[in-house]
Amino acid sequence: MILTAEDLLIPISSLILITAFYMQGQEFIRPMIRGQFVQSILLAVVSVIMWYLTHDIDFIVLAVLIVVLRGFLITYFLEKGIRKDQVHLHEKHVSVAFPFLISLVFVLTAVLIVYSVVFSSIRIESITGNQGILVFPLALFFQGLFLIASRRTTYAQIMGYIEEENAIVLFAVFLLPIPLLIEASVFLDVLALVVISSVVVLEKFTHERVEELKG
Amino acid sequence: MNSVFLLLIITLIFPVVSYLGYLSRIPRLDSAISLANVALALYLYEFIPYVGTFYVDFTTWVFILMVTSIHLLSQVYARSYFQNHKIGIGENLFYLLMGLFTTSMLFSLEINNLGLMWVGIEATTISSALLLMAEKSETSAEATWRYIVIVSAGVTFAFISIILIYYSLGTLQISSILGMKIVPSLTLNVAVAIALIGFGTKVGVFPVHTWLPDAHSEAPSPISAMFSGVLLPTALYVLYRIYQIDPLRDIFVWAGVISVIAASLFLGYQTRYKRMFAYSTMENMNLALIGLAVGGPYGLIGALLLLLSHSFGKAGAFYSSGSILRYTGNKKIEGVHGLWKSMPKTSGALLMSSFAVTGTPPFGTFFGEFLIFYALFSIHYYAQLVILLFFIMAAFISVNYNVTKMVFSGEGEKNGNEDSVMSGIAVLSSVIPLLIGIIYVVVTTVAL
Repeated sequence: MILTAEDLLIPISSLILITAFYMQGQEFIRPMIRGQFVQSILLAVVSVIMWYLTHDIDFIVLAVLIVVLRGFLITYFLEKGIRKDQVHLHEKHVSVAFPFLISLVFVLTAVLIVYSVVFSSIRIESITGNQGILVFPLALFFQGLFLIASRRTTYAQIMGYIEEENAIVLFAVFLLPIPLLIEASVFLDVLALVVISSVVVLEKFTHERVEELKG
Repeated sequence: MNSVFLLLIITLIFPVVSYLGYLSRIPRLDSAISLANVALALYLYEFIPYVGTFYVDFTTWVFILMVTSIHLLSQVYARSYFQNHKIGIGENLFYLLMGLFTTSMLFSLEINNLGLMWVGIEATTISSALLLMAEKSETSAEATWRYIVIVSAGVTFAFISIILIYYSLGTLQISSILGMKIVPSLTLNVAVAIALIGFGTKVGVFPVHTWLPDAHSEAPSPISAMFSGVLLPTALYVLYRIYQIDPLRDIFVWAGVISVIAASLFLGYQTRYKRMFAYSTMENMNLALIGLAVGGPYGLIGALLLLLSHSFGKAGAFYSSGSILRYTGNKKIEGVHGLWKSMPKTSGALLMSSFAVTGTPPFGTFFGEFLIFYALFSIHYYAQLVILLFFIMAAFISVNYNVTKMVFSGEGEKNGNEDSVMSGIAVLSSVIPLLIGIIYVVVTTVAL
């Protein structure tokens, strides 16, 4: 049996999802950042496969942007924020196992609901003609949301946000080629995350309830 | 090159040019450039509707006028607000970001492409986040972070809506979409409903409004004024353009009604005045959302009248709040007394703006709300109308009770040290909604 480029999309998308669950299960910050790096590189690989399938050069541009900006630049800035003596920087008082299980249940339930309510009624076809492949960006999106909600450190929440953005890019890449817009969003993400988040990371490491912000 | 296109480009770059005016150290050059931008925005009326790279009709024009005006007022106010007061992010950066923030709002309003509008809305988050942190306190850092995370998550969600619209219609150009004979499909329904949640995060729709009170209460007052007065309406404008593709009237109206109920209930137990005004913004934005969703001449004009008057009224409320905070150092309603003695001009502005944002006659907001209610009545949405009347009454009492308490209760020091520019800008902002109301009455009387 000959393996086609299209056949590779599902295992690579599964790997992207696995990196998301890996990040959810991490207590330490540095492995999370590296998980985010791997996820972005895998996303770039998907973009390259899409170029191979469609011969649209924009997908190559997108892949390069993802590798340079998300893969290296964001990883560099986030790692730079961790001092050498903070190699084992982690989120205190956080239980990892229980939220990890909850996240599995949450993501599964959310995807099932979306599929049974929305996709059963409307026909949305991916470029490859396979509607089922859209389950990966959806699951990644919900997982990103859960990561933001379940953690209190700025780092973990940034990671959740990047996951969400990756999910949107994956969704758009599978659904239709509008790379100009995707590139714009990638560019803006970098501005937002690198410039603003690094400032916030310096100011605040964790986020607890603040008396003045109640009500 | 088309002269209108050039005019629109100039309105886009002038906010940043005004920053260069600030750098030149020529007194008030930055304000003069911003004033010129307001004049250009007014002049733009001659050329509407304009369709090309940009899309500007009467609705867009009203929003452009709001943005340029509030930028001018906030810029003048900020110069005095930060005098003798250490600013956390550097004054140069503050004014640069203020210019970029205004440009990104104007870009979102003017551009003839939904995808690029989305880019503009994302850009407003980037340019405004550091402005929010300007006071550099523990609380403002937390509020900034909540703003970034919640709004970015929402706007990311909105991107799904943009993707689905492109998937369904094959274009994102607003003029083309509005000219199409669109047959509503379930995909479009989903796209518009997702936009309500996604862009609704920035508009202040319940329950995705939670960043709003934090950001408004912790931002420096000139920035709170821009958030309330023009940022939320800009997001509302983008949401309205998407709504026009496939009007899900019932969903939008009920979302607005539930949000007004929530805002009124939150208003009932606020202990900090800037936070109180933030919830009042949520109430007004959702009333405008209902007006735009109901549509027709009454709904649309009502919403525009409400938004225009509210932008100045709420800016006035935040300018007054900023002066009070500077003078008393207290954010709590209970901690402020006898303002009519200590800060006569500011307290006058606070009272006027409080009446303006709660829809007191004859302010423009009153006529805006009246038209929206009439529009609801004319399409037989009686239940929604009754609920709204009850809850806006509750909001009216909550806001005005607290404000009158701050102004008239207790004894304040006589003639406290009021900054003339800050109080002057607050008075000017709070008087404009009154003028809008009077002009509206005169114009409609003459027309009849």
